[in-house]
Amino acid sequence: MRIPVGLKVAAVSVGVMLAYSGYANYIPQIESKPPQELSLEGGNVTPAQLVKAGEEIYKTKGTCEVCHKIGEKGTRAPDLAGVGSRAARAKPGQSAKQYLIDALIKPNDFIVEGYPPIMPAVDKPPIALNRSELWALTAFLQSLGGTVDVALADIPATAGAPAGGGTATAAAVTVPGDPKAGKAVYTGKGACGACHKANDIPGTPVGPDLSQIAKIQTPDYIMKKIIDPKGMGTVAGFPPGVMPQTFGQSLTSKEYLDLVAFLLTLK
Amino acid sequence: MAQLHLNFAAFILGVPIFAVIIEIIGWRTRDQKYDWLSHELVKLTFAAFSTTALLGALLLFLFIGYYPKFWTYMTSIFFPTYWVYALLFFAETFTVYLWYYGWDWLQGPRKWIHVSLGVLSNVFGTAILFVANSWVTFMMSPAGIDESGALTGGVWAAITNFTWMPINIHRLIANVVFGGTIAAAYAAFRFLGAKTDEERARYDWMGYIGNFIALSAFIVLPFAGYWLGREIYAFNQTMGITMMGGFMSWLWIIQAILIGVLFIGSNYYLWLGMERIPGSERYRKYVPPMLIVLAIGFMVWATPRSMVVTLDEARAMGGTHHPLLGFLGVMSAKNTAVNLMILTTFLSFVLYRRANKIPLKPWSNTGMLVQWAVFALASIIVVFYGVYGYFVESLVRIGFSVYQVVAVLAAIAIVMAIDIPMFKGARTTGAIRWGTIAPRSQYVLIILAVTFTWLMGLMGFARSGIRQHWHVYGVLRDTSVDAVTPALGYAANVITVVTIVFFALVMFIFWLGGLAEKGKEGQAHGHGHAAPVIAGGSDESGGRA
Repeated sequence: MRIPVGLKVAAVSVGVMLAYSGYANYIPQIESKPPQELSLEGGNVTPAQLVKAGEEIYKTKGTCEVCHKIGEKGTRAPDLAGVGSRAARAKPGQSAKQYLIDALIKPNDFIVEGYPPIMPAVDKPPIALNRSELWALTAFLQSLGGTVDVALADIPATAGAPAGGGTATAAAVTVPGDPKAGKAVYTGKGACGACHKANDIPGTPVGPDLSQIAKIQTPDYIMKKIIDPKGMGTVAGFPPGVMPQTFGQSLTSKEYLDLVAFLLTLK
Repeated sequence: MAQLHLNFAAFILGVPIFAVIIEIIGWRTRDQKYDWLSHELVKLTFAAFSTTALLGALLLFLFIGYYPKFWTYMTSIFFPTYWVYALLFFAETFTVYLWYYGWDWLQGPRKWIHVSLGVLSNVFGTAILFVANSWVTFMMSPAGIDESGALTGGVWAAITNFTWMPINIHRLIANVVFGGTIAAAYAAFRFLGAKTDEERARYDWMGYIGNFIALSAFIVLPFAGYWLGREIYAFNQTMGITMMGGFMSWLWIIQAILIGVLFIGSNYYLWLGMERIPGSERYRKYVPPMLIVLAIGFMVWATPRSMVVTLDEARAMGGTHHPLLGFLGVMSAKNTAVNLMILTTFLSFVLYRRANKIPLKPWSNTGMLVQWAVFALASIIVVFYGVYGYFVESLVRIGFSVYQVVAVLAAIAIVMAIDIPMFKGARTTGAIRWGTIAPRSQYVLIILAVTFTWLMGLMGFARSGIRQHWHVYGVLRDTSVDAVTPALGYAANVITVVTIVFFALVMFIFWLGGLAEKGKEGQAHGHGHAAPVIAGGSDESGGRA
């Protein structure tokens, strides 16, 4: 039987493409997932928890591993083994933590000899670490041969990316709620102050301080967290399962939008 | 959807560039078969125009529907360019209409007007490409904005971002390659289904011309890609490192395999083609060494820096880098391999070109000697800097690839500068027996078209994937649930589906073109675009392989 030319051509073409696809499926499969925002502000975090969180940032959102190795000389960037103790001697008159913080947010101010000035400021997009993340990352770097003594207050208030990491994102988001009415929901029906502090509104530290929540979290996160606190996870250092799961039923749509609008003013 | 639109856009932009080059050759050489071929190609483009526009509109609707904030932001920056884009689209459409429908009207002394229309439609088409590229490149390497993402430097500053011009050039060249490979695949399909020797001869010739133009442009494409890579690093080191050494590092191994297939396929087609040229026997001895260079180059280029190994194997090797092959996985070795492959492909072309010619110029022996010396010198420079690259810092090593590229480009220019006058008025050893090429060569042309289209999809994934979870890198983040950049396997499956859909639609368009042709059977001679009879098509002495 004579096979039509069209069929032969189609078979060859599809066969070639399947071979390419097959190979692409055989090699290592690595997805690039959007990094999660980490908030530690107001939390009772132990140094060990802080270092663990910092190591995670080092490997994921911080993308540090692309250039830096620990215990191995890199061609693009210095070996970070022992940087915790080495940092104390790097610049006279500067403490280890101060040197490390500067190296993260102003990397080109001091370049280690023999390496090109290619490191980006990690608190600026596209890496865009927030203050909590800078704090944790500094702690992790200190732990590499040094003593962890960095506090959140050591991280400059001006450092850290706004919510969402991209400045244009924050500018683009508007919620059709009334922040004034939202403040009333916060202090009244929502009783948020029972667990959270928010600037001048006092609260017990059962949950994280929300004074800068709009800066350190995305609007999307805030909205979901009110409706489904369990599904959004628990901030490190705080007890899980405390936040009520019932706001989705107890608040009206207007109250919910007003509350979100109020929280988005907390920067 | 974006990739499917882009495939069609490349088709309607690439084929007319190819067509006008062919028309100019026909006009200057007064060879009617070039004019016929050009007309055939524009006819195919014509049918694909509306599909491209429809896919573009659908893509726009999807952007607005799924990513309204992103589209609002892009509009806040690029709104003035939307007007320019629309006006250029009108201008291109009308010019192409005039170019196509005025084919008979603008013949003879008015031919230059017709050719000018062809050139003009390509100028408009290229301008459209440049406008669309400004949006795409702004997403990769935004410029002209402040920290809040607001436009500060005017829209021109946003347009002329780091990657705009490299992508313009890269896409322009790639479109020529694409147009050539598609034309060649179309010819191959018609060759395989041909009923007469004349038909086979015509489509053999068309396939050769398509492949020739594709190959000529393809040789310089890696250099344009290299420039683009440099600009990405210049814009943002993190992005560059993510692209080459991060989660995308394996993508370049797949790219190497695809480009290796393109190089070896193109050379194999030329070698098969030489079998239908009397006098080419002299050059057959060069084929095995050229094949060895290409095969070794292919293997080196496709060698990964880190191997896919089990934990036990990694422990046994002392890491994921193979103790011996790991040395071939770095850029020094890969740049050397690709440059030698380009030189070899160029050599194949040079040998094909002179297969049935014997130069009569008194200085031809010296000329050939100089040509071989240039080939040798370029190869030595390429290998020297490849080896030396292992002994210097990375910053110095990056600069070496420029010397390698310059050596290869200079060799191509010098050899051709000698070759063209040397073979002018040369004695021929016989006419090319068009139509007698082995049918397997036509499958090679089809594989080249499929591979190049698939490669375009892969590079599209690379270009958009390096932004990761950013719509506009570092400025506007993708906060949707679909912000994940998929792994290569998933991306490859999507590319395969898109390529199959693209070729299915193109086949449908070709079939539609064929329907119109059938309807005009018997009138063709009166229309002025009768299919030409190619010399050698009825040459029974050649026989078919």
